[in-house]
Amino acid sequence: MNGGPALVSIMRQGSTLIASVHTALDDSELVRFEHDLIHQIGEHRSRGVIIDVAALDVIDSFAALTLRRIAEMARLRGALTVLVGIQPEVAFTMVRLGMGTGQVPTALDLEEGLALLAAHPGAGTDSTERDARPGSTP
Amino acid sequence: MVRRIVHARVGSHPSAEDLVQETLTRVLAASATIEPGMLEPYAIVTARNVVASMWRDADRRRRNQHRVVDLSTPDLPDSQVVLDEEQSAMATALARLGERERRTLLEHEVSGTDTHTLAARAGSTAGAVAAQLNRTRARLRVEYVLAAEQAELPTDQCRAVLIALSGGDQRRQREVRAAQHLLECELCARLSEPLLERGQQRDDRLRIPVTADPDIVSARRAARELASRLDFAATDLTVIATAVSEVCRNIVRFAGTGEVVVELLEVPRRGIQVVARDGGPGIPDIDRALDDGFSTYGGLGLGLPGVRRLMDEFAIASEPGHGTTVTMTKWERTHDG
Ligand SMILES: [Zn+2]
Repeated sequence: MNGGPALVSIMRQGSTLIASVHTALDDSELVRFEHDLIHQIGEHRSRGVIIDVAALDVIDSFAALTLRRIAEMARLRGALTVLVGIQPEVAFTMVRLGMGTGQVPTALDLEEGLALLAAHPGAGTDSTERDARPGSTP
Repeated sequence: MVRRIVHARVGSHPSAEDLVQETLTRVLAASATIEPGMLEPYAIVTARNVVASMWRDADRRRRNQHRVVDLSTPDLPDSQVVLDEEQSAMATALARLGERERRTLLEHEVSGTDTHTLAARAGSTAGAVAAQLNRTRARLRVEYVLAAEQAELPTDQCRAVLIALSGGDQRRQREVRAAQHLLECELCARLSEPLLERGQQRDDRLRIPVTADPDIVSARRAARELASRLDFAATDLTVIATAVSEVCRNIVRFAGTGEVVVELLEVPRRGIQVVARDGGPGIPDIDRALDDGFSTYGGLGLGLPGVRRLMDEFAIASEPGHGTTVTMTKWERTHDG
């Protein structure tokens, strides 16, 4: 916003966007993040999205729903989303809360997340020229 | 005891506890925009400003007791002298802490580094780090009062007594024979007053006003911190923070304004109690709000069934038109991991 360190960084690597959340986000910040990310997915025609939530010490119902909604909107735009870095305590709590991550795949860390995307045709980061491949999602 | 009361200064300067809290709150609020290396100098400058503004407020109130209060009245020259004294007292107090103590306190309060992270780095436990932080805060309050009063301690025992009182540590108070010392030492009897003013009941009880999104994060962070003083497992700390987050969101979304009171319990056993209250529209049908099918978020639900599953005790009282109160408790239990 105003010169402070970013709460979230979104980096592009080939056709994959890597979004790292750096600190606890309140609801308005989560919504802003959602908008930014969806915008960038469209702008770069990304095929894969990794959201690193290791810095989130709490994923409550609102955060869980926001993450699920991001993944669903990304899917509608042809990108596969993977959540990485969910802490074990956070995962346990999400389940007890009755939230979970829905259909959104998860991976242990960034590396595994990238591997998961690579295993999906059309979603992985590859070194070939990125061309618009409409409708190539599985 | 009589002597202590006679010597007590009544409202002559802001309580040390208020100052420490206010300073840390301000530094915390600004921490997102400060370079890490700048935190310490910034904290000291902020402390000075807080002291200055609190003094100004108190001073104005006194001056304007019999008139209409005008907060824009410029400072009068004679108050400036006292103001400078108060400022340097806080700066002196911060400087008197050990470098490691001060750094840990600032890293915790300013950068928001939690006790688990600090413990991992120091090869210690979260409980030990939390206890150390409490001792540092207690010490800071003492050093502030000493600097503000420009007091010379008459005996070697004085500082230990004052710190034990400031920290509300009853075992330590017995060890240093604090009660007896207060009866014998006029200075400590006088200085103990501002130290005892707030410390005790504030130490294990926090009240957080909740009106906007950022308050949800502050409240759950505060609850986690308080809970981490007990021997909760890491999972329970997350569970507590998450439950607080949910009830606070209901306040912000459905009532607009309210508060959360978090309190450590000793009886019937150790645990943490959270009371979330608002004066909002209330919940017309509580049974329905607690029904899982109805209450998943997304729709209009309140997320209450999930919260109830997270906590050990859960009670809700609501009166349409008059607000809602949720009371919930998590008990400490021995954990195996
Ligand atoms: Zn003494």
